[in-house]
Amino acid sequence: MREFMHYITNAFYSATGWNDDNTYKELNATARELIDFPIPLGLRLTLSSLATPHFATSYQLGSVGVVDGSLSYLHASVPLTGVAAQSDRIPLPALLRSYRELHDLGAFLASNPAGGAKLLPLTPRRPSLLYGRLYLPQALLEGLVVKRLSPALQVQLSAVSDQSLRNGGTLLGLIQLDRGRYGVEGLASSDGGLLGVRGLYNFGGDTNTTTTTSSPSPERIYGRFSAGAELYYGTLNKSGGASLGARFATLPTHRGTPLTATLTINPLMGNINASYAVLARDYCSLATRMEFNVYSYESEWAVGVEWWSRRRPAGFLLGALPEEGDEQGGVGVVVVDDTEKAEMKKWERSFQAKMEWRLDEPEPVVESPVVEGERAVTGQERYLGVFKARLDQNLRIGLLWEGRVKSLIFSIGSGVDLQRLDEPFRNLGLEVQYSS
Amino acid sequence: MAFNFNWSPLAADEDFYQRARDLLTTALNKSPKPPIIVDDILVTEFNLGSVPPDLEILEIGDLAEDRFRGIFKMCYSGDAFLTLKTRVQANPLNTYLCSKPSFTSPQPLAAASGLTIPLQITLSEIKLSAFIIVVFSRQKGLTLVFRNDPLESLKVSSTFDSIQFVRDYLQKTIEVKLRDLMMEELPAIIHRLSLRLWCPDQAPKDGDELKEDDKEGAINPLGTPPLDAVDAKGHLLDPSELSSLSLDGGPEMQSLFSQKNLEQLKALLSSHLTSSPDSPTLSESMYRAWAGVSDKLDAGYTTPATPNLGRSSSFQGSTHTYTFSDADSQHQGFSSSRSSMVNLSQATAGLSLGSGRRSMAGRKKKNRVVNLRRSPGAGSEESSEMGDSSTTSDMTSTASEALTTETILEEPVDIDMAAAAAAAAASAANKVRFRPSPDPIQPRKSLETEPREALPNQTVPIRLAEKPVQGGPSKDKAEQRSSEAKSPQRPGRPRSDTSSVILEQAWIMKMAGEIARRVYEEKHRNPGFWDERDEREEAPPAYEAS
Repeated sequence: MREFMHYITNAFYSATGWNDDNTYKELNATARELIDFPIPLGLRLTLSSLATPHFATSYQLGSVGVVDGSLSYLHASVPLTGVAAQSDRIPLPALLRSYRELHDLGAFLASNPAGGAKLLPLTPRRPSLLYGRLYLPQALLEGLVVKRLSPALQVQLSAVSDQSLRNGGTLLGLIQLDRGRYGVEGLASSDGGLLGVRGLYNFGGDTNTTTTTSSPSPERIYGRFSAGAELYYGTLNKSGGASLGARFATLPTHRGTPLTATLTINPLMGNINASYAVLARDYCSLATRMEFNVYSYESEWAVGVEWWSRRRPAGFLLGALPEEGDEQGGVGVVVVDDTEKAEMKKWERSFQAKMEWRLDEPEPVVESPVVEGERAVTGQERYLGVFKARLDQNLRIGLLWEGRVKSLIFSIGSGVDLQRLDEPFRNLGLEVQYSS
Repeated sequence: MAFNFNWSPLAADEDFYQRARDLLTTALNKSPKPPIIVDDILVTEFNLGSVPPDLEILEIGDLAEDRFRGIFKMCYSGDAFLTLKTRVQANPLNTYLCSKPSFTSPQPLAAASGLTIPLQITLSEIKLSAFIIVVFSRQKGLTLVFRNDPLESLKVSSTFDSIQFVRDYLQKTIEVKLRDLMMEELPAIIHRLSLRLWCPDQAPKDGDELKEDDKEGAINPLGTPPLDAVDAKGHLLDPSELSSLSLDGGPEMQSLFSQKNLEQLKALLSSHLTSSPDSPTLSESMYRAWAGVSDKLDAGYTTPATPNLGRSSSFQGSTHTYTFSDADSQHQGFSSSRSSMVNLSQATAGLSLGSGRRSMAGRKKKNRVVNLRRSPGAGSEESSEMGDSSTTSDMTSTASEALTTETILEEPVDIDMAAAAAAAAASAANKVRFRPSPDPIQPRKSLETEPREALPNQTVPIRLAEKPVQGGPSKDKAEQRSSEAKSPQRPGRPRSDTSSVILEQAWIMKMAGEIARRVYEEKHRNPGFWDERDEREEAPPAYEAS
């Protein structure tokens, strides 16, 4: 689950028209979130509120043996009016979905083919975001300032103040330049005097302005290539690091199965990392990852799956299939109105078609973009929860269920170690979030 | 006298090496490791070699069949070696990120991916030179302490020998680590091994050290039985009955102590410890802090009515009084309070015809005074000894009550008189003898003068003890009083057995520290001195004086 403040920050980015995905850091975000999803530890309660369109607060109380908590405040200079912050209205995929579709750069580049600086006029002159969080027993303070200097340029400054750190805290400055076709970041950290630069370049797909007008054929995989690199150097400890990466991802206009494939190479350490993520169905995403080190011959693999459910969480936990439950009426507490039922039937039909590998069957929902958007909205409302699981080469399993019950968003997770069957449950956690 | 150290049987025992490897492995993995070490440190090979260390006996402090204490000088340049195996993280960015908060992490995509490298380190050509203090007792095992830094030189060879920078770094780091290990971990390991060898009943379970501390801290309430012990029905208990009681004696034991009083005392103690705003008041009790100058004035005589100095209890209609002279003991000199104690105990012993009670008087008893305040220095020592004396007198009197039933009625009076006489003598000593009494704060001075003066002083109690036993219970009180009055005026500096042990230990520690300091200084002044000194036969200059 994305934290509430993270969700609000993303809402700020979308309100100001900033594309957070167009950086090298987010190159393999899809596979990472599908496989390395965090499992809650202990009991954690979060009360959040978007009190005014400019101001959000969040209070967290956790208990892992000892009780701890945090207070966080956020201020945005842009009014976040269109954001659904109430936990009974908040769209679950925006909060929980791991698979990330790329933003369409076509319109973005078409408006300014030369990639000039003035792309979209910003409503406030320079929108900014302030965020602070105080962890209470540890007296650890986090602060973040985001400032848009120009439509293509953004500065982030994050700081942590903690007694246990060497100089009482660290500071990280980040300057981000996003020109659509490429995005460049420069960073400097007070810790070890670390300097870094990373960049991403997009080509193919929608970046070719000449081909965007022609509608892609359903058979052809239509996507975008990205390539990037990063370089770090610690000026005080005289150490560094570097990596290269490439990604192919289908675009939202692609009619087939959306997929993302990445390959990163660390030439200094001899590490090769390949990942593949696919949105197999609207309700199911899969990801695999392979790592290999050419120097030490160590290898790792991991798989992750995400399964969205339309049922009530109790029915899901009991293992009943949704169709059975709805048609038998055994769990008939769910009141399904006619339109939703029709949606289900339609969805089921396409599911049947896809089971017979007829991917190119013309679906009525995809025909017109208006209907598609409607379906997306109803689909979001239809889902009540998501089940995530992962497995790695050490036979460690992570299980997580996240969903909405009444107006609370729950997240229950556990880590299971199959190699130690005497005490397989490594950790167990429950997170409850309420926002208004 | 000869010592026989066997080196090769130790090395030939295969089981010994296995145990030593396990102990070293656990010791190395105990402390949290830096993020660069990603795996456990395993001791794969360990060999003591065939060359034994050279041991030179510098001093033997204590020698008996079951205990030994001595100082050695050890030089070692043998062929022992040790091989460690672990895995290290080679990516500096990975270890950099490990200890940093995630909020300000630069979040590199793949630049921080790990590369773990197996590392093997061999330590060989170890040269040691150290002063070792060995304390061995059959009950407590072997304790071995290095007085100085034992490590002279060491060769570190590793997988990264071809890289100069890494080799130098490893050499430096391991030397520092090994010094810590020698000074701190090795004594603990040896102690644990010796416990397993000599006293398997004390063999270390987990958290053994903690338990040992608790044992010393816990006070057995039955070691100091209450003065007026009654059973559950209120009848007075016989001392012999009392001694047969044990701690797990069941419910009747519990009723010996008033639960209410114990709870009140506990509440008072916890209120002091937690600095709570209100402290419960105990009725009919006297606090040390209240004892002022007025108490000092009437310390000379004892009346049963004075609640802080006397404690009265009814026993078959008669009243006897025990002196709890806390107040005056704080103002008396060290030796005078001691001598009055000896005096008092001897007097009661004489009265009650008890044999072997003298030894009881000499034994260290637990303090009966509820010491709510920890007074520093000699004051607390004195008061505890005064507490001893009162306990002793009580013990002897109760014992005599049990033995000689026919003198029950007159004896308490005798004790009362004797106590009053002792107190009078003590007050007299207070006036007369304040000047010659040595300052208890300077133990060094008493240490120097003590051996000569302790001997004649120790004969005093014996001679005094003979007299009352011969005289019997119908002894003339005036004569007794005169002997009591005499004895405190003797300018003796008495010293108990326990304090002698403490002083001896302190002296040994001081001497050892002196040795280490001198050696260190000399080593710094001329490094060549150390080598030529080895050839010389005579003792080092630090030991010529002693």
